Amino acid sequence: MTSATLPEEEISYTISGYIRDKTSGEVLIGSTVYVTNLNTGAQANVYGFYSLTLPAGKYTLEYRYLGFVTHKMEIDLSSNEQINIELTPDDLQLEEIVIRSTALDKNVTSTEMSTVELDIKTIRKVPAFLGEVDVINSIQLLPGVSTVGEGASGFNVRGGSVGQNLVLLDEAPVYNSSHLLGFFSVFNPDAVKDVKLYKGGVPARYGGRIASILDIRMKDGNSKKFGVQGGIGTIFSRLAVEGPTFKDKGSFILAGRRSYIDVLARPFTDVLSDGAQLNFYDLTFKTNYKFNQRNTVFLSGYLGRDKFLFDANQGFSWGNKTATLRWNHLFTDRLFSNFTAFFSDYDYSLAFGENELDGFEWKSRIRTNNFKPEFTYYINASNELTFGGEIIYYKFNPANAFGISAGEKVDISLEKRYGLESAVFIGNDTRFSDMFSLQYGLRLSNFQYLGPGNVYEWTETEPGKRKQLASVTTAEKYESIADYTRLEPRAALKIQTGPKTSIKASYNRMSQYIHLISNTTASNPLDVWKPSTNNVEPQIGDQYALGIFKNIGANNDYELSVEGYYRDTKNQIEYIDGSEILINEFLEADLLSGIGKAMGLEFYLKKNVGKLNGWVSYTLGTSELKVDGINNGEWYPTRFDQRHNFKIVGYYELGERWILSANFTYLSGTPTTFPTDRYTQQEYLIPYNAYESRNNLRIPDFHRLDISATLNGKKYKKNGELRKNQDYLTFGFYNVYARRNPFSIYFSQGTERPVMGEPIDTFATRVSIVGTIIPAISYNFNF
Amino acid sequence: MKNLNIYILLFSGLIVLGSCEDNISVELEKADPVVVIDAWINNKPEAQTIKVLRTIPYFQNTFLPGLNEATVLVEDLTDDVTYNFEKVDEDGAYIWEPTGEQPTFGKIGNSYKLVVQLGNATYESFADMNRVPEIDSISFRFEEGNDFFPDSYFGGVYARDFAGPGDTYWIKAWKNGKYLNQPGEINISYDAGGSPGATVDGIIFIQPIRDGINPFEQDEDDNFLPPYEPGDSVYVEIHSLNYDSYVFLYEVAVQTDRPGGFAELFAQPLANVSTNITLTAETPEATKAIGFFTVSAVSAAGKRLDPNNLPPNDK
Repeated sequence: MTSATLPEEEISYTISGYIRDKTSGEVLIGSTVYVTNLNTGAQANVYGFYSLTLPAGKYTLEYRYLGFVTHKMEIDLSSNEQINIELTPDDLQLEEIVIRSTALDKNVTSTEMSTVELDIKTIRKVPAFLGEVDVINSIQLLPGVSTVGEGASGFNVRGGSVGQNLVLLDEAPVYNSSHLLGFFSVFNPDAVKDVKLYKGGVPARYGGRIASILDIRMKDGNSKKFGVQGGIGTIFSRLAVEGPTFKDKGSFILAGRRSYIDVLARPFTDVLSDGAQLNFYDLTFKTNYKFNQRNTVFLSGYLGRDKFLFDANQGFSWGNKTATLRWNHLFTDRLFSNFTAFFSDYDYSLAFGENELDGFEWKSRIRTNNFKPEFTYYINASNELTFGGEIIYYKFNPANAFGISAGEKVDISLEKRYGLESAVFIGNDTRFSDMFSLQYGLRLSNFQYLGPGNVYEWTETEPGKRKQLASVTTAEKYESIADYTRLEPRAALKIQTGPKTSIKASYNRMSQYIHLISNTTASNPLDVWKPSTNNVEPQIGDQYALGIFKNIGANNDYELSVEGYYRDTKNQIEYIDGSEILINEFLEADLLSGIGKAMGLEFYLKKNVGKLNGWVSYTLGTSELKVDGINNGEWYPTRFDQRHNFKIVGYYELGERWILSANFTYLSGTPTTFPTDRYTQQEYLIPYNAYESRNNLRIPDFHRLDISATLNGKKYKKNGELRKNQDYLTFGFYNVYARRNPFSIYFSQGTERPVMGEPIDTFATRVSIVGTIIPAISYNFNF
Repeated sequence: MKNLNIYILLFSGLIVLGSCEDNISVELEKADPVVVIDAWINNKPEAQTIKVLRTIPYFQNTFLPGLNEATVLVEDLTDDVTYNFEKVDEDGAYIWEPTGEQPTFGKIGNSYKLVVQLGNATYESFADMNRVPEIDSISFRFEEGNDFFPDSYFGGVYARDFAGPGDTYWIKAWKNGKYLNQPGEINISYDAGGSPGATVDGIIFIQPIRDGINPFEQDEDDNFLPPYEPGDSVYVEIHSLNYDSYVFLYEVAVQTDRPGGFAELFAQPLANVSTNITLTAETPEATKAIGFFTVSAVSAAGKRLDPNNLPPNDK
């Protein structure tokens, strides 16, 4: 049933409102309202708002959200209605009246494809590294997502590089999502509500990176009652406080974490005296204020830092800061708007030198300011129009650095760089019929590489070799040095072939104007972001995806999907052999540009009901680059090309209080370059690859099993009342069979000093970042 | 100050995640050998050697076989003089001996061309003999130890870079007459700093360069040993380089200095280092050659560690 078949002259009215969790008052992102007699519905947006315009008449509405009891209501629609609904989590129902909520069929019925949503409840059930629940480690268990190895920062999506993912925390980009190199992500699970990864079919309102968008939404804070939750773990401890404010007009959450390896180690070593620190911390804050049904303001912020300080003056540290201010305004019941202003900053600092006469200090920073108005116009039950814009001002400070040598101070800072990225977009979600729906949109983006600064031009020498400086000119403040405009069409089509089966197809073009510069085996916190310039063109990615989605069982017990994708990329950045990417004013002379292609097939089977839940994910994929000057100009696999990527996650409810969970990961070995021959120069033994090939072989496959058990504290008092305090204890083992999974294999002449006059021994060495079984225990509570 | 890698190693040890390494056997692709030319000559008053060799499989633990049928000469393009390098043994070495009139090779500021003829192939390469600063001094200082590093004497070499950009140097050190020949000990400088992108010029070598003459060695229990102890001697040579040979040594250090462990997260992938040896236009199809030709001017100084004779603040 659609609007197309409704008589035009009929009077329509709008039902709108917010859908929230009854226990906490948190809005339920993506919850649905379903009109049973029309077989249509609407979905709540990221602020929990929904709007549904229907002809006057009698309807049965069902408000649904996974893990919550469906709320049914009858309505006689004869005027515009504001209906705010609060849903009850199904695990809080008393035993006698438990009605297991029906799993939803959104995966089949929505037009969206190539997306995955994880709510924090699911994330908490997965066995976690060192017992610490982690957002980014969890999404790596999904199809199409991988990493080059333990300890590497970031993640790879559908054959894209780490720098091609846009990671958003309450709309603000997070430039480095890792703590402790790459073992943990910067997102505190106590403050995270919802995680959504767009691997393809990206709507027009997102842009700026070509591989994926990871949209992380923070909790608003409990608006019903004060609560404290926290945990004590092996590596760090957490504490979060939340509660209502302003006489129930608002709420807040403040959550913090800090690691304490250094505190524990201090009694055993004097290395950590003199101001030495080895820790990380983060603080997440959010508050909101509801002026009325039409106006809500949100303020959220994040501050986190990793510190590896050898003493008060020496060491290495990095961290992100973000702040987001948002205003939700309802112009009418059908026109929802959100205005976001944010600030995001990533910096790192590296310093050494034990006295004032000699030293070195280097700070690097990227800072962005952004303004983003967005509007959703709910035209009717079949059309939802989204439009808006975005403007981002970038300030890059690749090196603010000096060296002091024997008392002489030398400034070796690089020039600051500036960029302005702007975009306007429009998109429509339309339902032609129960069978066909289409999401289409267009994004027009522009990037200006701005002065002041020196502008370099280069002469190409031999491909693959350092370019020669041809000319240097100077640009004025705000002068546009390079100007790029790109049109980014997006489309997704759903054809519902049966009540529980659909076929979906999508296409999206994405442009990326800032680039993560990294030529190391794995991405790490020292990687620098660089704008597109007169020499470095924006990256372009075109992705085509086709998928079949099917639910099985009366209650959608199983979800099955198979998706294929093909991605075609341009202006991919590579590096000459021997490139210098840190503190190099002439970095551009060492950059190469090429094209890329990635393709794959993703299988996903998820079980939603019963005592045993979980999923199986398998990806068959390739990711390749072709760059003039590398691998003789032929196609070669990227460092993160993984042929097979298999994961299985299961959790089992054992009785009332125990949850047992396990996950198994199998990844094909990542490509690497091995030598064929050796030669010597001045007695140094040098590896040589006679074919000049790149990534010609692979390291052995990676596989790992993790298990954990959670013991929930008693839920009810002896008299049957719900206990106020809830707690649980988690025991886990990471890498259960202690496999030495290789992170890399390197070739060297060993660590012994070569004896002059004797030939030099050579070795192939396998490095395992986590080469043993790691136990963990953590205690978590909330009251 | 010790170098940064040492710190990374120390703190990696603190992250107790069971990171580990083991040597494994790996099957490598086979390839036809190519010609290797090892031609690093200088103006020290001694015989100069150029080697013509060929590559061998990576794990073959022997010397590279010599190619003994070559003719090797170096032309001074500025003064129009030819230096002939003669075969002495069957090990691929070709040698120029100094004479009474010509006690050292070449002249600072002059340009040179290497010509190697081997079978139907002719290889050539070009290099300049650039200026080299005198060593002002070598000094020792004492630093107290900590849990990871013992009480130690550290050496430092002081020299001032010439004013004007683009001077490149290789600082080679010998402890008690033994050359510090590990890849991690390759100590090169662009002007007085560590790299061309960071613009320092005309100053005293920065500290990491000055301190690059210290060996960091461990005993059987992986405890660090002091770089120098009373009575030890250090001898230092500064070799002037060309920009190309500076880049070459930078690449060699990246490719061969592999501390392993967590440092692998920051390591660059394996890639071939550069070469400045080319086949002439007349013989473009012959077997290719790799390796480097460079002509250095050298300055040198030495010192013995006497704890009673340290600068006042460093005893």
